[in-house]
Amino acid sequence: MTSLTDRYLAATLRSVPAPRRAEIATELRASIEDMIEDRTAGGQDTTTAEREVLTELGNPAQLAARYADRRLQLIGPTYYLAWQRLLMLLLSFVPATVGILVGLLEATDGDQVGGAVGAGITTALQVAVQIAFWVTLVFAILERTNIPLNLPDWTVDQLPENHSHRQITITDTAAAIGFLALVIAYLPIQQFRSFVTDGTGGNLPILDPALWSFWLPYLIAVLVATIGLEIAKHRAGQWTWPLFGANVLLDLAFAVPVIWLLLTDRLLNPEFVARFEWLGRGDNLDRAATVAVVVTILITGWDAVDSAIKTYRNRH
Amino acid sequence: MGSDDILRTHLQELRRGTVVVASLIALRRPDYGYALLQRLTGHGFPVDANTLYPLLRRLEEQGLLTSEWNTEESRPRKFYRTSDQGESMLRRLLDDLAAVQTSLTGLIEGVDR
Repeated sequence: MTSLTDRYLAATLRSVPAPRRAEIATELRASIEDMIEDRTAGGQDTTTAEREVLTELGNPAQLAARYADRRLQLIGPTYYLAWQRLLMLLLSFVPATVGILVGLLEATDGDQVGGAVGAGITTALQVAVQIAFWVTLVFAILERTNIPLNLPDWTVDQLPENHSHRQITITDTAAAIGFLALVIAYLPIQQFRSFVTDGTGGNLPILDPALWSFWLPYLIAVLVATIGLEIAKHRAGQWTWPLFGANVLLDLAFAVPVIWLLLTDRLLNPEFVARFEWLGRGDNLDRAATVAVVVTILITGWDAVDSAIKTYRNRH
Repeated sequence: MGSDDILRTHLQELRRGTVVVASLIALRRPDYGYALLQRLTGHGFPVDANTLYPLLRRLEEQGLLTSEWNTEESRPRKFYRTSDQGESMLRRLLDDLAAVQTSLTGLIEGVDR
């Protein structure tokens, strides 16, 4: 007996169930010898014949899987759709939620904006990887143990409504425009009626009145443009790449100045800050600013990702 | 995927079940792995060794084949034979194969060309 056949047998039998190993070994060895003999009778030398026969039998791991009736797939058709659906469902909201929570916690803990945003994003990615790994592992085990899922059979009632030309409903648009209108109205209103009073009973604006020279009118203009975008979006009925681009631009046009004003302590009215003892104490103002900045960055980032996904889904 | 590949895939699908039927017929006369492989190939049922050997064991586990070791020759060989259960299963399979052929013939004749 030559060593190549021995090695082939050992490699094949390693992953064959133990009780049948000896019998399969004897039979497979005899079959291999039969095959080699047949070739040497035709004039081939033994070494070449052996190599050819073993090559023909192929990868030992594959042969062993056939003997053991084992599946050579991680997740097969029985479980694939359930796996895919569960994975997509979990990935659609869990990483973002956990990431935002961690980012906020980090922001209240120190005044490092970059650190808090970084921690939020890193955590979201880690959570996504963990979800993908554990869900896949569970389904790979189900596949190997053949556990029935007992999922209800598919029925026509499960067919999704056809939204292909109405991704953006009138309700969504109305809510968005209503919210934007409230914010636009609030900016001048807080100047005159903020419900915060100074020592003598007069009105105390929340935002720094000095910003009326440029920044507040600018922000109002951006918000009005955003209302225009909502209308354009409703007209189009669904997200498109130009709408996505405009959305990101307007988001940035709003978020970047707000963040800059927050970080340079120019957004809030200094008299308003002085009125609240808590804000003036220690690092509290910086800390509040950090939280606001982190919230702004995360919301802006989420909006960009969300609209990108919706746009990508509309590709034809 | 070229048309050759497509053809090969379809032929493979078409031939897949026939190896079991051919083996059950051939093993009405007892035989061992490699000899069966050669007989099947000779009769126009080319089959890979790494498919046939595990298949024989699976059919034996299902009770469709019985086996017996023959130690009289130069090396010990396992001889398989179609069992009674295998024989009745074979009849069902052959009936179905005939039914497929009949249906195909009927369909071919029924369709205007």
